[in-house]
Amino acid sequence: MHILEVENLKTYFFTEAGIVKALDGATFNLEKGTTLGLVGESGSGKSVTSQSVLRIVPKPGKIVSGKILFEGEDILAKSENEMRNYRGKKISLIFQDPTSSLNPLFTIGSQLTEIVTQHEKMKKTEALEHVIKTLKLARLPDPEEEIYRYPHQFSGGMKQRICIARALLLNPQLLFADEPTTNLDVTIQAQILTLLKDLQREVGMTLVMITHDMGIVADMCKYVVVLYGGNVMETGMIETIFEKPHPYTEALLKAVPRLDQTKELVSIPGNIPNLIELPSGCVFHPRCRYAVDACKGNKPPLEEVEADHSIACIRWRELNGGR
Amino acid sequence: MGLAKYVARRLIYMIPLILGISLVSFLVMYSAGDPITIATMGNPMITETEKQFLRHYYGLDLPIPVQYFRWLTNFLTGNFGNSIYGNKPVNQLIASLSWETVKLQLVSIIISFLIAIPAGIYAAVKQRSATDYTVSSISIMGISLPVFFTAVVFILVFSYDLGWFPSAGAHGAPTLWPVFGIRNPILDEIAHLVLPALVLTLASVAYNVRLLRAGMLEVLRQDYIMAAKASGIQERTILYKYALKNAITPLLTLLGLSIGGAIGGAPMTETVFSWPGLGYQFVLAAGRLDFPVVMGITMLITIFILLANLITDLAYAWVDPRVTIE
Ligand SMILES: Nc1ncnc2c1ncn2[C@@H]1O[C@H](COP(=O)(O)OP(=O)(O)OP(=O)(O)O)[C@@H](O)[C@H]1O
Ligand code: SF4
Ligand SMILES: [Mg+2]
Repeated sequence: MHILEVENLKTYFFTEAGIVKALDGATFNLEKGTTLGLVGESGSGKSVTSQSVLRIVPKPGKIVSGKILFEGEDILAKSENEMRNYRGKKISLIFQDPTSSLNPLFTIGSQLTEIVTQHEKMKKTEALEHVIKTLKLARLPDPEEEIYRYPHQFSGGMKQRICIARALLLNPQLLFADEPTTNLDVTIQAQILTLLKDLQREVGMTLVMITHDMGIVADMCKYVVVLYGGNVMETGMIETIFEKPHPYTEALLKAVPRLDQTKELVSIPGNIPNLIELPSGCVFHPRCRYAVDACKGNKPPLEEVEADHSIACIRWRELNGGR
Repeated sequence: MGLAKYVARRLIYMIPLILGISLVSFLVMYSAGDPITIATMGNPMITETEKQFLRHYYGLDLPIPVQYFRWLTNFLTGNFGNSIYGNKPVNQLIASLSWETVKLQLVSIIISFLIAIPAGIYAAVKQRSATDYTVSSISIMGISLPVFFTAVVFILVFSYDLGWFPSAGAHGAPTLWPVFGIRNPILDEIAHLVLPALVLTLASVAYNVRLLRAGMLEVLRQDYIMAAKASGIQERTILYKYALKNAITPLLTLLGLSIGGAIGGAPMTETVFSWPGLGYQFVLAAGRLDFPVVMGITMLITIFILLANLITDLAYAWVDPRVTIE
């Protein structure tokens, strides 16, 4: 069963420089109870995807068209008031930078309790109990004491645990983790990833791991959605994708950082596309090693090429036919 | 460090500052001229001997270091001497004028912030809307209009033409409030307060609106605001609790400075409205080189600003947990 269906989603930013097409017709489905990797280079529209699903795209951004179904319900048809019952309660979000996503002027106890009391009919003390319980779930040591502290009094890893607890407070069915480890030390990164994996199993929620690290995807995810220039290039089971990848995914896989050069990302030659003036045809053609003239013509549609595997590329069959 | 220790240290640091400022002001004033010559200018009958007597009476014939030392010892015992005009104790003079100034300033600061906070938030939230442009243009107009201009226009329109409010003084007077046609001491005070307070408010409100709008816009872009929204927190809570506190914290400094500076009054506004406050008195006294009065008001303002600074820093540390007093 699909917990989330995104169809032809277009989210644009109407900036002074022009219309930034952050998502230009993204389509993908999400199986309930699994972990999905949402991958792509910087600027490919990963964060905007999660913001669109929660309908918190910041100004001057706007969802222009498309469909978002959560458990079959049309999210885009909901009123602002109805949306509040989705945000945090059914769908949650963990941010890339735990430091900037916690309000510096309020104790973590007060920030987390506010979320509980605004959604559930609970007394303050009950809500606080619940917050402490959830912080324990996120393995924050001594939550009974720590709730009275301010964000700046915690280390990065601890702050991310607090943010994870914040996202889990209301038992959401769907959790977006937007590059939750990018801003953490390498040793802490592993701990946070393990925590997310454990929690996904314990709580049984659906998890979307947003990352540009194929290593994390291989480690954690069952399904993958590959974004490029606001378009979905490929979706499928992790094994299929590793085996017969889309040309862009193939380039991404080659860019996986090797263990001995931890931080250094080998990047794909060429630049990410200008989202104001997207390349014609296949948005990846200026950088694609397989590109032919026909790739500049019409935008290749996302097609199911085999069971559980969709591709937007006119040459994929040809390139993989021989195998 | 303990709070008491911190405050004590800050207070001790103020002493050399206060002494330094007093010395500089004393010297500047002394080089400005001779108050007795100015005071007796309108009196052709006065003789040089009489002038000399007056100088001697006020101690103006002593060497400057001696004069400063005399002033300082008096100052340290809380005595500012007597004014040259009217020969009144400066302490008493300042005390009665301070109240009028504080009243006027407090009213205008409070009104200014009461208007600026919602207007600034609204303009920021509705960024680039018609409301935002309206608020912003009015703000720019308010900032560019000089106080003496708005003051004179207000006096002409609301006082001379319409006759709604008195144009001079702080109370009493032959005026009763014509709008209500009643004579009541409190209404009378309010009637006198309206125009000068309005002029002062207009001068600061525009600036405050723009600062708050800029602050709110900056804060509303922050991740923690999006995170609060993503957690399903109500818009009202996000704006008035989470965003406002962050946007207003930097304004504390401004509020502290304006309250600190307030005791000095607004010389221009007070002068135009003949407001019996410290600002007007300072302008008068400076023109007459009335040393004791000028020194008294200068020292009062200095001490007040230094104290307001200290209180601002304490308030800052109280509001923002990241700031520690050290
Ligand atoms: N607030 C904004 N204003 C204008 N443009 C924006 C805004 N947020 C995102 N965009 C545009 O949308 C594009 C996609 O942004 P998004 O944040 O989704 O990228 P991402 O895939 O999450 O990249 P990263 O890995 O760097 O986080 C960006 O290239 C940017 O140009
Ligand atoms: S459509 Fe052409 S340019 Fe695009 S990925 Fe396929 S081969 Fe490359
Ligand atoms: Mg991102």
